Amino acid sequence: MCGIAGRILAAPGRVGGDLVELMDAQEHRGADSTGFAIYTMPRDTGYVLRGMGFDKSGIGSDLADFENALKDHGASLLCDPEILTDDSRHYCFRMEIGDPDNIAKWVADADTLTDRIEIQSCGRSLEIIKDIGGARAVADKHGVREMTGTHGLGHARLATESSVLPNASHPFWARPFPDVAIVHNGQITDYYTWRERLQRRGYNFLTYNDSELIAVWISDQMKSGLTMQQALTKSITSIDGVFTYMIAVGGGIGFAKDRFAMKPIVMIRENANLAAATEEQAVRRVFADECEVVNFDGPSLTGIWQVGNRRIAA
Amino acid sequence: MSETVIDVGQRPIREIHEEIQDAAKSSGRIRVVNTLSRHNLGVGLPPGIDIAFEGSVGYYCGGLNTGANVVIERNAGWACGEGMDGGHITVGGYAGMSCGSAMISGTIHVKGDAGPRAGVAMKGGNIVVEGKIGYQSGFMAHSGKIIALGGAAASCADALWEGEIWVAGEVESLGVDVVVKDPTAEEVHEIDNILEPLGLVDTSRNWRKMISGQRLWYFESRDASAWLMI
Repeated sequence: MCGIAGRILAAPGRVGGDLVELMDAQEHRGADSTGFAIYTMPRDTGYVLRGMGFDKSGIGSDLADFENALKDHGASLLCDPEILTDDSRHYCFRMEIGDPDNIAKWVADADTLTDRIEIQSCGRSLEIIKDIGGARAVADKHGVREMTGTHGLGHARLATESSVLPNASHPFWARPFPDVAIVHNGQITDYYTWRERLQRRGYNFLTYNDSELIAVWISDQMKSGLTMQQALTKSITSIDGVFTYMIAVGGGIGFAKDRFAMKPIVMIRENANLAAATEEQAVRRVFADECEVVNFDGPSLTGIWQVGNRRIAA
Repeated sequence: MSETVIDVGQRPIREIHEEIQDAAKSSGRIRVVNTLSRHNLGVGLPPGIDIAFEGSVGYYCGGLNTGANVVIERNAGWACGEGMDGGHITVGGYAGMSCGSAMISGTIHVKGDAGPRAGVAMKGGNIVVEGKIGYQSGFMAHSGKIIALGGAAASCADALWEGEIWVAGEVESLGVDVVVKDPTAEEVHEIDNILEPLGLVDTSRNWRKMISGQRLWYFESRDASAWLMI
């Protein structure tokens, strides 16, 4: 059991605050860790990175190695990194970088440093913040409530198959595809089959979490020419297990629900203003007035919710 | 008859339960407002009270009911009336997955549609749905009746025991080990007796009555056809 949520604002605003409310209402579904994928206003060039480091005594040298790997791919930091440390064993960072010559090759090189430093999101607008603890604790630590943007995802995790670690928390970035993030409630039962197939296609996984796999699977399908709607539909018959997931890109949020209809998702939409979550009581936190709720209770369901008139593409 | 009004908001559900139980001792009628789709409202209600929930409720509303008359103005989340053993629940809108799961007796009346697995493992009582029942409704129902006036989604009555599923309207597909029977006039009369207090009798309905084929009751693992059926 986990809790997931998605939020689209009619106009850019404090989407972080709404996602904190959506996840606080679902903390009972999983208090091991909480995470947010927030789509800030997109930049035309350059990327924003969020990540973690695991050796606080070596922050300076680790970030220097990371920066050197970036320079090897023709890019550099656009400003000083923001470093967040507390009494946790890990530290978190936020960076803004120029465009590498080839983002997939740069990510592959940067991933050779993952025993020391790990990129957890990369995008023109995507920023993933995740950590151990409930929604309020994570939000307080990382200033999530103050984050503004157009849309985002949230996740409350009950760890079942991989460790309670900050980097095993959700959401997951579909590395190396910029601006693609996923939250998932469920379990994929043919995980290793798909992982091996995707690894043979050159993809790198940093965890053994099945949600990370779905994000890459969908992005790979879209890279191969499917629309997001086609990829979502295909996932229902191609991937085994019980699941409901929401996957976000710069243009909006898609969702898919398995053949057995075991994992709930509800949605309230008022014009371009939308909230979706595992539980109805969560979406009532942002739509307090009584209004129509759509229960996606059936099997094999998919849908896409656009942000304004933005194009949906990975 | 006096009425007690209870405001839910974001207060702890334990407090709401205590207020409902206190009110049930002194007042025959309770109105619960500002429900915000919260879970576990009205669980374990005592017999002989009338309780109305304004707006929508979350999971398990009316669960373990022992005889109260419950009215939910709009939608109910998962497992409305789970394990109830008496009383009556009316859902004004949609009822989420597993409505009436494992219920023992009483009636649940849903004015809209019901989600997947309505009446899963029910052991008695009646579930009346004016709209459509969801995927795999009646799954492993041991006894009792599910009556759907607006059709049924796929895999209807899957792995049924001694429960009965009655559907007026389209049935998308049958589940495993289901037999469709033409009901006798006497059996239809029995259904009308259930629908009559709800004002839902319509003699023009074309009923499909689904019962177990009983091939899974004593499952023989060497019977290849039974495996193929699954």
